[in-house]
Amino acid sequence: MFCYQCDQTTRSETGDGCATTKGVCGKDSTTSDLQDLLAYAIKGIAQYAKRARDLGKTDKKADEFILYGLFTTLTNVNFNANRFVELIHEAVEIRDRVKALYETAAKEQGQTIEELKGPASFIPASRQDDLLMQAQWGAILRDRDAVGDDIVGLRAMMLYGLKGTAAYAYHALVLGYEDDEVYAGIEKTLDFLSCDPTDANDLLAGNMEVGTVNLKVMEMLDAANTGNFGVQEPAQARITPVKGKAILVSGHDLKDLQELLEQTKDKGINIYTHGEMLPAHAYPKLRAYPHLVGNYGGAWQNQNEEFAAFPGSILMTSNCLIEPTGAYKQRIFTAGPVGWQGVRHLENHDFAPLIQIASAMPGFKEDTPEKSVTVGFGRHAVLGVADKVVDAVKSGAIKHFFLIGGCDGAAPGRNYYTELAEKTPDDSVILTLGCGKYRFHEQDFGNIGGIPRLLDIGQCNDTYSAIQIASTLADAFECEVNELPLSFMVSWFEQKAVAILLTLLSLGIRGIHLGPSLPAFITPSVLAILVDKFDLKGNGDPAEDLAAALKQAA
Amino acid sequence: MMTYSITLATLDGKKIQFNCESSQTVQDAAEEAGFFPPAICKMGSCGSCLAVCDSGDYQLKNYSEGLLPSNAEKTKDILLCRTYPQSDLVIHAPYGSDKIQNHEEIPRDATVIEIKTLAERTVYLVLQLSEDEENGLAFNFEPGQFVELEIPELELKRAYSIANTTNWEGRLEFLIRLQDQGQFSQFLQNQAKEGQALKVHGPGGTFGLHGQSLKPRCFIAGGTGLAPFLSILRRMADWGEDHPTQLFLGVNNEAEIFCGQELNDLQQSLAKLKVTICVWKPMGEWDGFRGTPADALVEYLKQADVLPDLYLCGPPKLVEITTEIALKQGISAENIYCERFS
Repeated sequence: MFCYQCDQTTRSETGDGCATTKGVCGKDSTTSDLQDLLAYAIKGIAQYAKRARDLGKTDKKADEFILYGLFTTLTNVNFNANRFVELIHEAVEIRDRVKALYETAAKEQGQTIEELKGPASFIPASRQDDLLMQAQWGAILRDRDAVGDDIVGLRAMMLYGLKGTAAYAYHALVLGYEDDEVYAGIEKTLDFLSCDPTDANDLLAGNMEVGTVNLKVMEMLDAANTGNFGVQEPAQARITPVKGKAILVSGHDLKDLQELLEQTKDKGINIYTHGEMLPAHAYPKLRAYPHLVGNYGGAWQNQNEEFAAFPGSILMTSNCLIEPTGAYKQRIFTAGPVGWQGVRHLENHDFAPLIQIASAMPGFKEDTPEKSVTVGFGRHAVLGVADKVVDAVKSGAIKHFFLIGGCDGAAPGRNYYTELAEKTPDDSVILTLGCGKYRFHEQDFGNIGGIPRLLDIGQCNDTYSAIQIASTLADAFECEVNELPLSFMVSWFEQKAVAILLTLLSLGIRGIHLGPSLPAFITPSVLAILVDKFDLKGNGDPAEDLAAALKQAA
Repeated sequence: MMTYSITLATLDGKKIQFNCESSQTVQDAAEEAGFFPPAICKMGSCGSCLAVCDSGDYQLKNYSEGLLPSNAEKTKDILLCRTYPQSDLVIHAPYGSDKIQNHEEIPRDATVIEIKTLAERTVYLVLQLSEDEENGLAFNFEPGQFVELEIPELELKRAYSIANTTNWEGRLEFLIRLQDQGQFSQFLQNQAKEGQALKVHGPGGTFGLHGQSLKPRCFIAGGTGLAPFLSILRRMADWGEDHPTQLFLGVNNEAEIFCGQELNDLQQSLAKLKVTICVWKPMGEWDGFRGTPADALVEYLKQADVLPDLYLCGPPKLVEITTEIALKQGISAENIYCERFS
């Protein structure tokens, strides 16, 4: 195996990347190799899907499979080797169907049928050992000796960005939202990657294209969330348990949460959100369920301890799963693209086993004194008071905005964000999104003329909201987003964050601080280009970075 | 008396350390230090404290034959509850650190809700657990694990594999072979009836599915050695996790065949499951496989395109013979998992 797609990848002087029998995330080498091979097989679908689309033909199921398949290969999503064997074979079946669609259309339209190579002609071995041998074709480092680390890294960044984009698009899809333009963009960029490009400029352009597609996807997901659950409104989310039986829902999939809330109505079971599900409390149609009682625990990396202590059943709806311990392995369930061998997977929103366990377990024995956090400052809430915000900036009451967004993780370096938030001056506003906020969101940062200093925009995908807020403020001040007193402090962990980074870069946002450490796939030469073009910065000392950010914007 | 340092490493790479006197078992010393590694009977008869000693000298005293391989001295397989150190020891356990508790296991109360004869000398026993303040009706076990059943008034304990899957209703099913001289067998035959109170210790044992492997699975069950496989197969069916699997169930004669209908049903749910009942000495017109599971395994391995992971549960003799066959046919020792009857 070789994998360096997330922040926690092994770092060493001899080279970065997880390359032994097991990655830091817990993924074993077989699963990792099969994930690479699945991504390879999916490129094969895209090669034909793009060409069929150019001739006006599409295969909806194939488009959806591309999203689902790529999502399963994200960090902390699916660890089940046998599942990947199935998905690889399914991918090739789908590719052959799309191939036939393309060839028929080409023939009908009098076009020459292209003979495609690489993933387009991949035939998976029937013997598992042989399949693992084939995994080298999809391996990240397959031609490193010939093309060098920079090209390998640029291709990897593009593929990882696409994985994040596909995951967001899948979230929108389950809420009934999809867009041909998005499928076309994803297939076009995958087709580009399937040819093993070797030109750095082309690859940089490809990466920016992924960022552009992801912006569209985040806009679509924003429409899906607000369309299904109403626009986010500022609200209090209780973070202490109440007496009674309990189910915990983690991940990002609000549809799963809504289905579960429906199925547990009047059953005497309380539902708690976890991790990235916290912003659910801001959506009116989800808040309307009285048994959605609060949020439990912190960010994803603490789940081994927190899930063990949770006295009910647990549903993991998307990323971020880590190896369940024996203490709760029997009462945690996966849904959608998520999977772990030996953990039960639930399909089609059939949550009966989850409910049965919660009913059998004792639940929380007593109420814990109430504590809560404020959520729900999506673009509608913030822009609803835009004039007030603009006045506060004009009067000097608000001097700076810090967007502290992205993932949390176990790395000690992530204390940077706590320190940074704590050191921000009283006349600045902190905008948060993603689960990085768990490090400091319980603190009281006060308010500026009635505007809370800490405004939570929502999940990581609500970066779209942040971009809208920034654009609206820029319009109000008749300037560019880069000229606003706004600093982007992005904490990345996995591939959704890569997609977001590419979106911000594709919009021309400069001066982004990216941490806690720079991705291993960004080589020194590529970093030099990103610094030159976008003034991308790594994390330094929080106080110094803060001072520099305030000075730059002044 | 000497005191030695014991290091117990778990599968997740964690280690615990404690001191152990030469007159003390490693299990007792661990408990004295506040660590409670899985152990049920603590008298060398259940096998739940199985581990491997990586370095150091020790004495193994008084345990049921068959719990450990006959060359345990060489393989360094040990039972923590029967191991007395004679130097510092480094031991590795076949489970993760989460299995080491910080308190002694408390047995659960249960009552018999069904008992019936399934076939010659084979009893089907169903228990209902009582609700417990900490767990409610929940009983956390992995398919393949066993519990120890205790009849308090007879001061009698026996270990049996659980035949059903985790169900959160407190229901536990067992397949029990009646032994002529067995005290528990006597009890089941003569005294046990619905409503009988029992205590359940455990669960224990590390036998179970290594589901991450891509290889086909071959299960070999000797008689009621079917129980853990039934649990595993039922879960595969419940969860919709089909995987190429061959089950050989060995019985002496047709009258001993049991769970035939259930195995047929499982084959309906799991398209990749093949069940072969091996009758050693048929009394009549048996048109199925004639011979032992060991005979059947030889045939199977000869025709296998890919060598399987081999799972064995049954009498020690069957386990030893089938292991030997498998090794000879090229299955590596690390792909053979076994549970021996003691």
